[in-house]
Amino acid sequence: MNRIVSLAAMIILLISGCREPYNPEIEPADLSVLVVEGYLDTEGLPSKLKLSYTRNIQTENSFTPSYPDAIVSIRSEAGVDYPLTSLGDGEFEFAYDIPEEENYRLYISTTDGKSYTSELIKPILTPDIIDVGFVKNELGAEVFLTTKGDENADDFLWTYEETYAFRPKIPSSYKFDPETMDVVIRNPDERTDLCYRGGVSSDLILETSSKFENQFVFRQAITQILQDDEKLSVRYSILISQKALDKKASEFWEIMRKNSNDLGSIFSPLPSNIGGNIKNDQDPDAPVVGFVSLGTIKQRRLFINVREVIPWRAVEPAYYSCFVEPDTIMRADYAQSFASENFVPVVPIFPDGAISPIGYQGTPRRCSDCTLRGTNVKPDFWED
Amino acid sequence: MKKALLLILVSCFFGQLKAQTTTQKFSGMYLGVSFERFAERIESESDYSFFYKKEDVENLQVNLQANNSDIVMILNQVFAATGLTYSIDSSNRIWISKGDKIQVEFPKDYFIVQDRQDNLANAGDSLSAFDKNKRFTIGKSSDNPQSKTAVLSGVVTSIESGKPMNGAIVLEKVDYNQIATDQNGKYQLTLPKGRHTIWVQNIGGFQEQRQIDLKGDGVFNMSIEETILSLDEVVVSSGALSNVNKLDMGVQSITIAEVKRLPAVLGEVDVLKGILIMPGVNTVGEATAGFNVRGGAADQNLILYGNSTIFNPTHAFGFFSAFNADIVSGVELYKGSIPVNYGGRLSSVLQVDPKFGRSEKIGGSGGIGILTSRLSLDGPIGDKTNFIVGGRTTYSDWALNLLDDEADLNDSKITFYDINANIQHTINEKNSLELTAYLSQDDFRFDPDTTYSYQNMNVALGWKHFFNDELEGKFTVGSDNYEFGIIGIENPLNSFKFSFDVHQLFLRSDFEYRKNENHILTFGLHGIQYSLNPGLNQPYGAESIVIEKELDNESAREVSIYFGDEYTISENLSVSYGGRYMLYQLLGPMSVNQYVDGAPITESNLIGVENFDKGSTVKTYHGPEFRVSARYTLDNKSSIKGGFNTMRQNIHLLSNTSSISPTDSWKLSDTYIRPQTGGQASLGYYRNLAKNRLEFSTEVYYRYMANLLDYRSGANIILNENIEQDVLNSDGKAYGVEVLLKKSTGVLQGSLAYTYSRSLMKTSDDPSVEKINNGDFYSSSYDQPHHLVLTANYELSKRVNTSLGVNYSTGRPITLPISKFDYAGSERVYFSERNAYRIPDYFRVDFSVNIEGSHKIKKLAHSSWSLGVYNLLGRSNPYSVYYTPVEGQLRGYQLSIFAQPIPFITYNFRF
Repeated sequence: MNRIVSLAAMIILLISGCREPYNPEIEPADLSVLVVEGYLDTEGLPSKLKLSYTRNIQTENSFTPSYPDAIVSIRSEAGVDYPLTSLGDGEFEFAYDIPEEENYRLYISTTDGKSYTSELIKPILTPDIIDVGFVKNELGAEVFLTTKGDENADDFLWTYEETYAFRPKIPSSYKFDPETMDVVIRNPDERTDLCYRGGVSSDLILETSSKFENQFVFRQAITQILQDDEKLSVRYSILISQKALDKKASEFWEIMRKNSNDLGSIFSPLPSNIGGNIKNDQDPDAPVVGFVSLGTIKQRRLFINVREVIPWRAVEPAYYSCFVEPDTIMRADYAQSFASENFVPVVPIFPDGAISPIGYQGTPRRCSDCTLRGTNVKPDFWED
Repeated sequence: MKKALLLILVSCFFGQLKAQTTTQKFSGMYLGVSFERFAERIESESDYSFFYKKEDVENLQVNLQANNSDIVMILNQVFAATGLTYSIDSSNRIWISKGDKIQVEFPKDYFIVQDRQDNLANAGDSLSAFDKNKRFTIGKSSDNPQSKTAVLSGVVTSIESGKPMNGAIVLEKVDYNQIATDQNGKYQLTLPKGRHTIWVQNIGGFQEQRQIDLKGDGVFNMSIEETILSLDEVVVSSGALSNVNKLDMGVQSITIAEVKRLPAVLGEVDVLKGILIMPGVNTVGEATAGFNVRGGAADQNLILYGNSTIFNPTHAFGFFSAFNADIVSGVELYKGSIPVNYGGRLSSVLQVDPKFGRSEKIGGSGGIGILTSRLSLDGPIGDKTNFIVGGRTTYSDWALNLLDDEADLNDSKITFYDINANIQHTINEKNSLELTAYLSQDDFRFDPDTTYSYQNMNVALGWKHFFNDELEGKFTVGSDNYEFGIIGIENPLNSFKFSFDVHQLFLRSDFEYRKNENHILTFGLHGIQYSLNPGLNQPYGAESIVIEKELDNESAREVSIYFGDEYTISENLSVSYGGRYMLYQLLGPMSVNQYVDGAPITESNLIGVENFDKGSTVKTYHGPEFRVSARYTLDNKSSIKGGFNTMRQNIHLLSNTSSISPTDSWKLSDTYIRPQTGGQASLGYYRNLAKNRLEFSTEVYYRYMANLLDYRSGANIILNENIEQDVLNSDGKAYGVEVLLKKSTGVLQGSLAYTYSRSLMKTSDDPSVEKINNGDFYSSSYDQPHHLVLTANYELSKRVNTSLGVNYSTGRPITLPISKFDYAGSERVYFSERNAYRIPDYFRVDFSVNIEGSHKIKKLAHSSWSLGVYNLLGRSNPYSVYYTPVEGQLRGYQLSIFAQPIPFITYNFRF
């Protein structure tokens, strides 16, 4: 059904439709709704619960968020209390191995005098991920996952975090040393020709295993890497988290997914007000956003190397119109050209028979320095 | 055609013959009676009629005894020495005058000349000229002499084709009695006895006149010229012209000629878009053919093509209507007093009248536009049968191909077509048959992986029988079918084929009985057998591991009986009253979820499943519907009308989107989804201004509705076995006032319609898991308070006609994101209460020019060009607004569909 969205978008293009920025005047609604996020591990692995507030839609990214101070705990129906440890900035850590057959509630009391209670939560043990892999298709490469549901775990949520290695358009191992006023080879910790970047994806992938034979979810598409995307230009890694959900949690995530992806096109569904499984004790009608679950998270990491998907050439808009300047910068002009660090040496020019270069051809830093867009520190999990 | 003329002529001769050969004799005492009383007595005893000036005979007393006396003897005696003379004409009319006798005889060679003219090839003009000057005597004064009025009826046919004329106006200009002819060219007028000038005007034709002397109920058939000779095209809308006199209220008609002159998207003449110029009719946007009448949902409109229900009257996702304008003769929208013979939907009835073929020659018409072409052919098959068949298809693929590079529309494809075929057969004077068939098909895909398709298929056979002059019956049997499908082949393992279909078989009998001039009774029976497949998902291809999932088929029957009476109480007051009784039964086999009594319908309250066998009744609903309306004529030019009606609806469109989409499925009422019910009260004032050149009307209404469907947050509609858990039973109310000013004559014509209306909903008080907006009333998605439509046609010359349309409406309500928060690694939006905000207002100006080819009769084809600009100002009217994260920051966008002026050109022809 998601296709309808793209379909509608196409038809709009066809009939010379148009998309323009829209900034309506919104009543300055003083909406400071508590947001609770957490999928807490029941087998003792430290996991986080996050508390925050909603903020005005027009708030810029650069704002400083304020987080609620609170006392948070999980309590079993039998009355055993598991307090969470505050980590600051609205984050709380939960690290208990708790019995999975019991039911629990989450209790939050914020310092502004309000208290919140969740509905009963039943832990769900997530089945293992059977396989992750990728397949080349006409759009590029698709990452998939295979798993199998069971009698407790029918609905699944997958989220993922991507990390990839990349090179700048014009790699260089040289730098200008202001002390010696000369061009030198960079140290390994200063290298700018291979970096890593990535992040948590906002995609939410939901599926119900009972739709398939024997609850076998075969090669569920997780993400599509478009052909020639920089992500796969060197080596790519994806960490997929699999969480089993109960029916109500899956409804919550489905609303969140729909509210994020499916809005605004002609045939998209009406937006839905999102709630969750937490209520304000003082005012049960007051909105609270968030669905807290208990269970286990299963993760698998996949690496894909560019050699596995060739042909693949990196096309990255950040490096458009990058080339090596043909003019040779002579030694005397090094300071003038390279000292600002906006221009970096790339190609040494050796006269016939010379041992040391007479000068360097250079390129703008943005074309050569990958640390502008990533980090040159290899992540701990990285396997080459 | 000559037959009809001959008939008139023969009847004239016959009348004359009779007058000359029978001499009536009178006996009786007339002592001291006034001349007027005397004349009345003679008139009542014979078919003589008197014509005189009152002042001439004021002092005249009659004293005589007649004993089997001749009229001449009596009159000689009466007028002896009074200074008055008389003459008797061939129609037994007695003309009394002072002094000279009135010349009443025709010249001796008069009819000989006529005979000779009748032999001419093109007798039409001269014959009608003759008709114009002749006074026809209708009926016998001996019939029903007490009555002051008589019923004039007959058939209006075309001189050129001999075909009955639909929609011709028969008009009497003194009291402005008028009526439009029906599909069979029939009309009926109740007029005071005596002489009248009857005007008759075909849509777009000349006005012609006939002199009649109405003595009693009688038949008067007329042949008039058709449009083709007329350069002076005057469009007369049957509904509007007689607004003041008609008993119906809240009825809007539009002729195809009017629709054709409206500027259209890409030049596609669109009957559904045509009704949007009427007050009280809104649409949520340009990309939907769904329309909202008086604050009702789009599925509350019954769309009938003839007698066939069209479930999805659109092509290409709602951009065009699926009706070929060449096969449609007119459109009527009932939004106020819905006639008692219609039922089954809450808001309105849109009656699209099919066209039938000509009877004199085979001809056709067609058009070539930017996106589609159409062609139709019609004509006679033998003497008694005519046919029309038409088709339309698109070649829009080229447009997609143009966009290929930019929009990545490789392998995209939109194809659609529709085919109509109508046959009419006259068995004899009392029996006729009509067959209408309709097929429309859409297929489209925007990537190679997913193909969508949908199809309407309708066929209906009607038999019309005239039992006698008073009773007429029509029996119709038909089948309506709608289906859609989606095939996804993105991944061979997950390839699927989804299908939905709804089918209904219907049978209806409708009777009309005219006991006397004061009552028109209608009654009948309407039965529908529904069968609906709510969704079937199958694996597609050999590798697919998708499990087949099918929801229980739904079947039901609906039987309605109705009775109505249109009662003319006095000259000024008429009422129409009636009712329907509807019985609806959902039939097995079916398994029905059982829930805890009195608790919200949720999965956790599910306590079991009850199974029903095939044919057993799962659930029965029944109830009455009332229809009452009344008209009080204040004077010749103005009237007030009031009405109240209630409606029931058993089939619902499940739609979670703001507009109708082709993947919305229909659902029959079941144990938990109850029939929608509603009522409407309305009051209207109608007035003709400026010597009837301007027509003004205003109506106010209030509606209430129950058992409407709204949806829980995140409701899933497709393949949901427990849909009752996701819908919210809702109540609705709507109210508004509509004002219409219309000018239908002259070089400048047009209309100005303004509507103020509100449409509100609330989650009903039934126990439910979610109360939208805390159970308060909220704006429905189509609540657009202000709506203004101006259309103006200016005739530059007989061949060039320009048209301007202006459209304004309040933006529709929308649920806006008002705050944001971080969740699952990304910024997410938090939405306002449902429909708490509105998108910007809608404003659009269109312009078009229609150029007719030469009007020579003898040429291969008559052609015309339509060109114009849609959205002349290029205003980007937002269809929708939405927020989407762009590089982590949430941005708002508004989406317009026609954001720039869209020029169009279409070539039309007719042969």
